[in-house]
Amino acid sequence: MLAYIWQYVYTSFLRYWLKWFIRQATGRCELQRICSGYKPGATRTIKAEYSLQSSKSKVLRGALEADQDKLDQCVGQIMKVKNIKPQKDPLFKGSLYVCLLQITGHSSLYLSVEDLRKEVFNSDNQEHEAALLKLWDLLMPTVKLESRITKQWGDIGFQGDDPKTDFRGMGMLGLINLVFFSENYTEEARQVLSHANHPKLGYSYAIVGINLTEMAYSLLRSGTLKPHFYNTVQGKPELQHFHQLYSYLAYEFDKFWMAEEPESIMQFNQYREKFHNRIKAHLQDPDVSLTLTVRCDKN
Amino acid sequence: MGLLTILKKMKQKEREMRLLMLGLDNAGKTTIVKKFNGEDVSTISPTLGFNIQTLEHKGFKLNIWDVGGQKSLRSYWRNYFESTDGLVWVVDSADRLRLKDCAQELSALLLEEALALDEIKTHHWCIIGCSAVTGENLLTGVDWLLDDIAARVFTID
Repeated sequence: MLAYIWQYVYTSFLRYWLKWFIRQATGRCELQRICSGYKPGATRTIKAEYSLQSSKSKVLRGALEADQDKLDQCVGQIMKVKNIKPQKDPLFKGSLYVCLLQITGHSSLYLSVEDLRKEVFNSDNQEHEAALLKLWDLLMPTVKLESRITKQWGDIGFQGDDPKTDFRGMGMLGLINLVFFSENYTEEARQVLSHANHPKLGYSYAIVGINLTEMAYSLLRSGTLKPHFYNTVQGKPELQHFHQLYSYLAYEFDKFWMAEEPESIMQFNQYREKFHNRIKAHLQDPDVSLTLTVRCDKN
Repeated sequence: MGLLTILKKMKQKEREMRLLMLGLDNAGKTTIVKKFNGEDVSTISPTLGFNIQTLEHKGFKLNIWDVGGQKSLRSYWRNYFESTDGLVWVVDSADRLRLKDCAQELSALLLEEALALDEIKTHHWCIIGCSAVTGENLLTGVDWLLDDIAARVFTID
């Protein structure tokens, strides 16, 4: 309760006075102090985001929702409102621009991901069908698919004879993630698949992949992934960065599963939760970067 | 009678039921449970293993076990039969191609000894058409099941 009152007093009065006082003393506003005081990355962008969000000025708050091509103007307006002279702080403009690019980029990334998730897998769509067959060829280069509807799909971990029903809630996002991982990390993906087909520790490769897409999606939606993207992309994060993150999860989950040696696939949700908590703990670290690093030495 | 005694009595009366959801993969088991619990059903992915959902309904504490339906998981179903009070067999009526599979799985399930279905000579059943997406008729189905179990299990008090 006390903490709650303190929080209220701090955000509504003290923070304002404190900012005013420091501004008088140093001659620089909070945004300037953030931009020059921290190196590019999550800490700086998150602090800038908070500062803009809690600003009393409409110009500053509006910048968080501005279009990407209007960000230049936004930075100019902010500098005008805050009376920041480019001659005195030449780096400020560029730094704030990158911060805004990351902040607004994260929101637009979510929208693109959501669009892809809502796109239902449709057998009449040739692109969708082609992506599905490509997934097979990438993972099973030596085995030919006998027909479009076949039990063989079970070999790469789909539930039934036709994978289309498995995409459900994750839509095309689930399929594109699976294809991306197999295409860009082919060797790793095949290695993961061979673990998934382990007689004792095996799991359904594709279905687990779709579950991990769901994990990535919900982490993005809740904003938990912000530090990761702010650290790894110095600009606007794109869809491929999301697919990269999925690849990291797919590879790391496999390592985790093999190390934990669960009794059977029936324990999946328990281990999924454990893995989820581990990822969330990583994301608490301001220097977090969930990047799939592939070992060069393969002995 | 103090407050504590009343609470104690209430605790004793707290009635728990264990329900098991089974059916082919993609039938809509998880969607039904989530919809019934008022959760978002638009982002569901296939169930690996099982989910447990605990919720209160009509004064009962329901433990709903929602077990994955894919072929490789069906051999595990029997591990969940013990002390199950009611079974919900979910059929996707739009999945006509697999209605035969569905019937086969169900008849195999009904022969299972652990469920002791043949011991209950008059075992009750009810087919309810419903939609997990809109939630239509879910309440009717669950209410029927609860009333039926309650009449069977909790008649002593």
